Amino acid sequence: MAEPAALPTLRKILLATAGALVAAAALLFGAILPAEYGIDPLGTGRLLGLLALGQSQPLATEEGEYRTDRAELTLYPAEWVEYFYRLEQGSNMVFTWEATGPVTYNFHASPDGAPAGYAESFDAQDRANGHGTYTAPFTGIHGWYWENVGTEKITLTLTTSGFYTSAHEGRARASGYKPLTDIRGNAVPSVP
Amino acid sequence: MALVGVALALSTQFSTQVLLAHPMEGTNAGFVQSVDGPAPGPFLYLGAKHMVTGYDHLLFLVGVIFFLYRLKDVVLYVSLFTLGHSLTLLLGVLADVSVNAYVIDTIIGLSVVYKGFENINGFERLFNVKPNTRIAVLVFGLFHGLGLATKLQEFMVSKNGLVANILSFNVGVEIGQILALLGVVALLSYWRTRPSFLSYSFAANTALMVGGFLLAGIQIVDFVLFS
Repeated sequence: MAEPAALPTLRKILLATAGALVAAAALLFGAILPAEYGIDPLGTGRLLGLLALGQSQPLATEEGEYRTDRAELTLYPAEWVEYFYRLEQGSNMVFTWEATGPVTYNFHASPDGAPAGYAESFDAQDRANGHGTYTAPFTGIHGWYWENVGTEKITLTLTTSGFYTSAHEGRARASGYKPLTDIRGNAVPSVP
Repeated sequence: MALVGVALALSTQFSTQVLLAHPMEGTNAGFVQSVDGPAPGPFLYLGAKHMVTGYDHLLFLVGVIFFLYRLKDVVLYVSLFTLGHSLTLLLGVLADVSVNAYVIDTIIGLSVVYKGFENINGFERLFNVKPNTRIAVLVFGLFHGLGLATKLQEFMVSKNGLVANILSFNVGVEIGQILALLGVVALLSYWRTRPSFLSYSFAANTALMVGGFLLAGIQIVDFVLFS
């Protein structure tokens, strides 16, 4: 197999190169700028309805009822507490909590219909405070476990706002309790 | 069967490879930011993913091997490209060298245009010179690697396990390149057996230039808007 014997003419080469530049520019200004950047220099974005693609949606509305809760929990040494919420999939919650002493904490959730004792753990470590947002990956119960690992009585203050339907404190295991593990095999405290 | 042979031959001879004129997105970027310590598996995957999904890099490869009929030449040119990539990726990250990603990515887009223009004999006709294609491939390899180094540094927060992660990424890129080449070499080898290859090779390389101009144009827009 051989390459073409004759080179293309200069005219053909220049035409092809210029044509390539024009075609790329037409695609860029006519379609990509309106669709990806919301910029519409040629008016084609409005004409073809591409502008809607380029508009990001920073504001989201939610259907559920907006709630704010504040809880003060007292923990004696080696005592634990759970505080959990019902959230629909995709619902958001903003939280902040602070303890007056060291705690072991774990944020975990159990989807509706999961086998008894199943929970997914999203964060677990020793710390004295936490602030952030939570978006429920599934419908179910979601919440914290705290255990006082110090030698003094501590107070833990939790404030949450968001679109959850209930907030509960739990201090007793359900009957028939058995140790739980999450998907990674780590021990997870149960939600009563 | 011949194609499988080509693939195997390629896979045993290529060293590390890179790409990347497209950003890391969403959860991948979040992961890279949160990494603290060696994570060879994820970085291997990310390297391969960037190669296989990096159309800027893929287009350049198509241009490079378009008229390479002999396996020996394919291996030689891709090795040169690999050499260039790996050099700037490793040195770039280790020496903390970073350049404006949009500028580098514009150059990478123009490298596709260059290759298409060369393939339609533009330089011979216009300037009456036949450029040294090996040096060109090596130099563009250096730019592709620099682009990758810049992107990785934007995301890598922790220096803990840096070398292990960069090397993993580099090996991943090599794997990704072999996977990508499998497809490109297979398609081109088949197409060459058809008469339409010579009739449409000019058109195909013109299309390559369109793609290159488009990639460069997008990067220029990004540069103007976000830099």
